[in-house]
Order: sequence, then structure tokens, then C-alpha cells
Amino acid sequence: MHRLTMLMRALAVLTLALLLPVLAQADGLIAGKSFGNDREIVVTFKAPVDQAVFADPAHYLVYEESDPDIRLELADVRLDSTGKIAFLGFKEPLNTTRPHVVSMIDLPAAVTGRTVETFRVAKPYLGYLLSILVSALLINNFVFTKYLGLCVFFGTSKRRDTAKGMGVTFTIVMVVSALMSWFFYQFVMKPHGLDFLQIVVFIGLVSLTVQAVDTILRKVNPVLFNAFGVYLVLVIANCVIIAVPLIMANNEYNFLETFMLALGAGGGFLLALYMMASVRERMELARVPKSFKGVPIAFIVAGQFALAFLGFSGLSLF
Amino acid sequence: MKDISTIIFRLTLTCLVAALIMGGSFIVTNRAKQHNQQVNEQKVMLSLLGYSAAKPAPASLALHPVYRYLVTEQDVQTLGYLVPVAGGATDAFALVTIALDGKFVARHDLRLAPEKAEQAKERLQAVQTAVGSGKTIQYADQTIIVTDNGQRQAYLLPGEFPGFKTFVKVILALDPGFTVLGLEIMEHEEDPGLGGEIVQDYFKNQFRGKPYEALKKLGVVKEPLPDEYRGALEAGKTGRLGPEEVARIQEQYKDHDIYALTGATISSRSVTNGVKGIVKKFAYRIAFLDRVLAEQRIVVPF
Amino acid sequence: MATDKSNLQLVVNGILNENPIFRLVLSMCPAVGISTTVMNGIMLGVAVLFVQVFSSCTISLVKNWIHPRIRIPTYTLTIATWVTVIDMVLAAYLPEAYAKMGIFVKLIVAFAIITMRLEMFASKENLTHSFWDGVGMGLGFMVGMMAIGFVRELLGLGTILGYDVLGFRPLLFFILPLAGFFCVGLMMGFFNYIETRYKRVKQG
Repeated sequence: MHRLTMLMRALAVLTLALLLPVLAQADGLIAGKSFGNDREIVVTFKAPVDQAVFADPAHYLVYEESDPDIRLELADVRLDSTGKIAFLGFKEPLNTTRPHVVSMIDLPAAVTGRTVETFRVAKPYLGYLLSILVSALLINNFVFTKYLGLCVFFGTSKRRDTAKGMGVTFTIVMVVSALMSWFFYQFVMKPHGLDFLQIVVFIGLVSLTVQAVDTILRKVNPVLFNAFGVYLVLVIANCVIIAVPLIMANNEYNFLETFMLALGAGGGFLLALYMMASVRERMELARVPKSFKGVPIAFIVAGQFALAFLGFSGLSLF
Repeated sequence: MKDISTIIFRLTLTCLVAALIMGGSFIVTNRAKQHNQQVNEQKVMLSLLGYSAAKPAPASLALHPVYRYLVTEQDVQTLGYLVPVAGGATDAFALVTIALDGKFVARHDLRLAPEKAEQAKERLQAVQTAVGSGKTIQYADQTIIVTDNGQRQAYLLPGEFPGFKTFVKVILALDPGFTVLGLEIMEHEEDPGLGGEIVQDYFKNQFRGKPYEALKKLGVVKEPLPDEYRGALEAGKTGRLGPEEVARIQEQYKDHDIYALTGATISSRSVTNGVKGIVKKFAYRIAFLDRVLAEQRIVVPF
Repeated sequence: MATDKSNLQLVVNGILNENPIFRLVLSMCPAVGISTTVMNGIMLGVAVLFVQVFSSCTISLVKNWIHPRIRIPTYTLTIATWVTVIDMVLAAYLPEAYAKMGIFVKLIVAFAIITMRLEMFASKENLTHSFWDGVGMGLGFMVGMMAIGFVRELLGLGTILGYDVLGFRPLLFFILPLAGFFCVGLMMGFFNYIETRYKRVKQG
């Protein structure tokens, strides 16, 4: 229980650290800006603004940051009743994955002190990080939608205790080895054009992590080692552990993104294992045809889970 | 102690042997890989233009890549187009910078071997030296202009846009009047069997023959695909319909919206909007580029 | 300790008695993930065969020289080396097939079956035996993949190796990636059933 509170605290600190830069922005006229629905940008002003100027589409220039020459066509601009929030409506749906630039031009100098006000609208980075996490956890769950790590998955999902032990051990090793892989990839392999050594280096780092965790745990906390030591050997036979660094290298993730991906992959594996173990414990009481007892029925249950996880496809929370 | 030294020695030797094997096969395979990739890309492009093994492209057909860069100098952004210059050596290129409103800014001549121009890194270096320091250069995209005997035949536009899950990478072929000649999906991560069906002929070929006017307001309808139309779209694979028949049916549906894939309306809509965006942006930009090239008397091979 | 089995027995053993997919229940990921067609099964099967045979031979050759304390790292390094080689070769010469298999070729490195064979067989036997054992295991994997691919391709697309044999698509569901779970489960159950029936007939 104590470990859990520690974990929660660490998570809270991390979230705060990531949120701070988002909160500490905005000066001048603009208090906030964000994407509304798929063809809308919402701009919040610090004080109520003039309807005649700020509700006129002619005062706005909007473009995608990478396409400064292509102006996006505005359909209309509405101010809400307080006069503090402007809704910019567009004729075409926006590509909200890309940052947009909004320029307010020909402003009366008396209002703001300058005639042009330019700012960037982008999805918050924290949201992006969380979307990587959720994606690895649910949408692209490594077990049920990418079909990886199945040997260990079927081997250790017989009992819930085993499932928990395996899941937690795996997550820890996953995060540590993914971060080390990221470090090696960015600072050793990429600068020297050694991309083709990916497989060897990544599997080597995984073995190293497993060995290190094994040694440290044995010395520092023998009780924990007795509980989790047996799973450490199995970690290396799990293809998720090598798939995550490969995905990281393929997508050129940065440190935080890699961390989120590894955490999501580990958490997703834990989730899958635990759910599967819960079902299999109950299934022992069920009357399964003799030829299907054990692994065959487990496969069919996994297929049903996979069907259910297909429902997460395309989910976007952030 | 002796144990450890033997272990270290043997491990080092093993690593060395492994490195030799891997390095050796890397050197052997890497060249073949790059070559095959190029051949494959070329094949896709030619097939989009309607050429195949049965109907090879004429020797007079030439592909001219034009690279677009974003040039930033103290908050002022301009577009830089790297175009080949005709009439001189094959390594003559010019970087033409155009202001955001379409006015000509500057022309920088540079020498760059065509093989090097294909390498993103070396090209960027050459462009950076041409414009001088103090300006930041960012690669934006590439357009391939296809000519036959110096006559402009088509445009090939590699592009990328968001799909239902992640991104979709495509190559789009347009004729000089911006009518779509073909669409090829290069890479995607949509769900297999659902959104993944965007790679099928009966979806991607629906874009073929759509004129620019229809494309500008192209939408997606959730109706079943008519059998006759489906037959025409898959004619390339099944070979059941003759070319005249296919052309007739295509003409009939050329202003019709895109029929959505069953169970993948969002993927269908993403592709439609993505294609629309690519064509619109391109049509807008090529007009400015052509005007500037004509005004400045820059002779290009297309 | 040398095995008393003949070369042929070693191969047959890998295909039937110790089939990596259906008997040892190892290397299941590709069996579910990309077994949608027979061709995929053959392609990945060839890759696994290559890695298994080369690793087995390598380890068998240098078995007396490997220090027992660094046994596992040496195995891993050997496997990773051969996986890298086959990965690069496939990417260079068969780009289309390689694109279909995606990340799975690289993931051969984490296949428990290969390490297991090195530890249990190649590190104790001579070169010829190890070679044939490797061939048997590789073929066993390939046959397993092809069997699943056969069922899925026939039921999902109505084709075999791309040739239309049925003329219609009986159950499109089987071509969806997740149907691999159902397919493998049902096939395993079916084989178990056959086995029990066979035993009963033999006894009675």
C-alpha cells in the first residue's frame, strides 16, 4: 500500500512539472487559445474586446505553421456574450495535429498598443504525451492489437498473483531498458550511422537491465527478490521488450515520449495479463470441452479480448 | 582472476566476429536496398502515370523534381524552390525564393550533382551555402514534374496527412489541369480489414479522373458502391472490362462524391480531405512559381 | 551425450513431436499476428529457418570454447547477429514481402524457441546433428505458420497462395488480424481432439 502512495505522489509531481510551462504563458491581449471542434479555433481575451473589430474575419490571418503562404479561409468569427471569447469558424476542417499561427491584423492601436498580434495555436504537449501513453496502453495494446509478447502472456496468466508479479517486473525492466536504449540510440548509434546494429544493441541493453535488476534486488531487498526474481528471466523472452525500442527508434521519440511509450507498453501488458488471469481463474470452474482445456481456450478468450480492444481504435482523448 | 580475463577476451572476440559479419552484410545489402527502393518508387510513379511493364514509358519521358524549402530570416518567411536549370550542365540548379504573397525575391544559382540532389542532407547543405548564413532553411516538400519531349505531362505529389489512427503517406498524380490521374497509398497504420482497405483499388481508384472543380468540393457519402462502378475501379486487376467501358463509367461518376469504405467512414473522409488539401495547396503554389519563372526568364526543363 | 536419432528423425521430430507452435506453444506472436496468408508463413518460416540453422551451427562449432558463465549472452549475441543479417537481406532484396512482415523479422531475436534449442541441443551435440535439428525446428515453425495461414487464407479470402480456389470469401472475419487468436485456439483444440481419438483407437 505504501508503495502505491509513493507511486501516486511521483506521478502527481511529474504531472505538475509538465503542466507548469502550459500555465505560465500568455501575455498581452490573449489569455488563452485552443482548438475547438475540428473546424474551430477558440481565442480567449484578457478583457472584453470590441465587437466591430474582433468579430470581423478580415482582421484575422490564419495558417498552418508549415504552410505560411496558404491562408485558411474563415467562415465567420463570433464573440460570446461577455465579449471575451472569440470563436473562429473555418470553411474546411483543420489539421489539428499541426500547430497553427493566428495573426490579428489592422488592430486599432489604442486597444493594445500595437496593430498586429500574432500567436501560435497547438495541441498541448502534455496531451500529446498522454495520448502516447493511452495509445500504448489501450488503443495499440501490445498484446491484444499488436499480438506481441504472447508466449509469456499465455505462460503467466494462469493465476492473478503471477500475473501481477510478471506485469510489475516487466514494466520496471521495460521503462529502464527503453530509456537506456533511447540514450544509446540518440547519442551513439545515430551520430555514427550505426542504425543497423539496433537489434544487437537493444537486446544487449535488455539483458544488461535484467542482470542489473537481478543483482541489485538480490542484495537490496531479498523479500522482493523472492517474489519477483523468477519473472526476471522470462522478461527477456518477451518480444514487447525489444519491440518498444524499435518503435522508439522508428518514430524518433524524445526522452519523455519514450518514457510514456515504455510505461504504456508495460502497463498495457500488466492490464492484459491481469484481465486474462481473472478470466482463466474462473474458467477452471467452467465446463470446457476436454480437447480445449488449457491453452486452446485461453487463445479463444484472448481473441474475445482483442475484439473488445478493437473498440478503442481511433479513440482520441486529447 | 584468470577466469575473468578469459571471459573478457572471449567476449571481445565474439563481439568482433559478430561486428564483422554484420558490418559486412550491411555494406553488401545497403547499396542493393537503396537501389531497390529507388526502382520501386520509380515503378509506383510510372504506374500512376498509366505506364506498366506491358506499356513501357517512352524514352522522351523525364521526371524533374522540384524541392520546396521554407526560408526564414528574422521573422520574415519566404518560400524557396530548388529547380533544375535547363540549357546548361546537368548540375545547374537555381533556388528561387518567392515571398508569401507570390512576389519574386531572389535567385541563387548553385551547382549540385543530380545524384547528390536526391540525398536530403547534401541537398540541404548546398541550399544553405547558396542562401548564405543568417537564414534558416527548412525542407518542406517535393513535387515531381513529368515532361514528355519538354511538354508538361503530369505532376507527382508525395504527401502526408493524418488518417484515422496515425498518418497516411501517399503519392498523387495530377495532369496539368489538376485532374487526378491516380492515387497510391505508400504507408499507413489504419486497422487492417477496416481503414486498411484504403489501399484497395475500389477505394483509391475512385479519385482517378476527378476534375479540379469537383475535387475542390469533394465529399464522402455513406452509400453502397454501385457494382458497375466497382467493376470499373477494379478493372486493372480483374481485366474484365475493356478500357472504353472503364472510361465511360469513370466519366459517369467523375463528379460524384467518394463512396465511403464500410466500417471506415472516418478513414475515407481523412483520405478525401487529405487529397483535397494537397491538390489545393499545390494548385495555388504552382501558379505563383510558374509566373515567377516566366517573369524572371528562368529557363527550366519543364 | 550424443543423440541416437538419425538426421531424418531429427527433422521429423521438429515438425511433428516438438512442433514449436502447436506442441511447445512457443513463438506465438507471428503465429497470430501475420499468419493471414500461406505466403507470409513461408516468408517468416524461411527467416526463422535461416536464423535457427545458422545459430545452431555456430554454437555447435564453438561449444567447447564458450565459457559456461557467459553462455546465455553468447547465445543472444549469436542470434541477434544472424537476425540482423537476415533482416538486412530481406529488406534489401524482398522489400515488398519485408514490408508485410513488419517488425516481426526483427523480433525473431526474442523467440524463446531458438535460445531453447541452443541451450538444450546445439551446445551438446556435434555439427551435423545440430544442423538437422535446426532444420527440423525451422521447418516445424514454417509448417505451423503455413497451416494457420492455409486455414485463414482459405476461409478469409477463398484463395491459396493467391490463387482463387473457392471463388468466394466464406468468412472474411478470418483475415482480420485478431482472428489469429481464434484460429490458433480452434486448431489446437482440433489437434488435441484428433490425438485423443487416435490414442483411444490404438488402445481399444
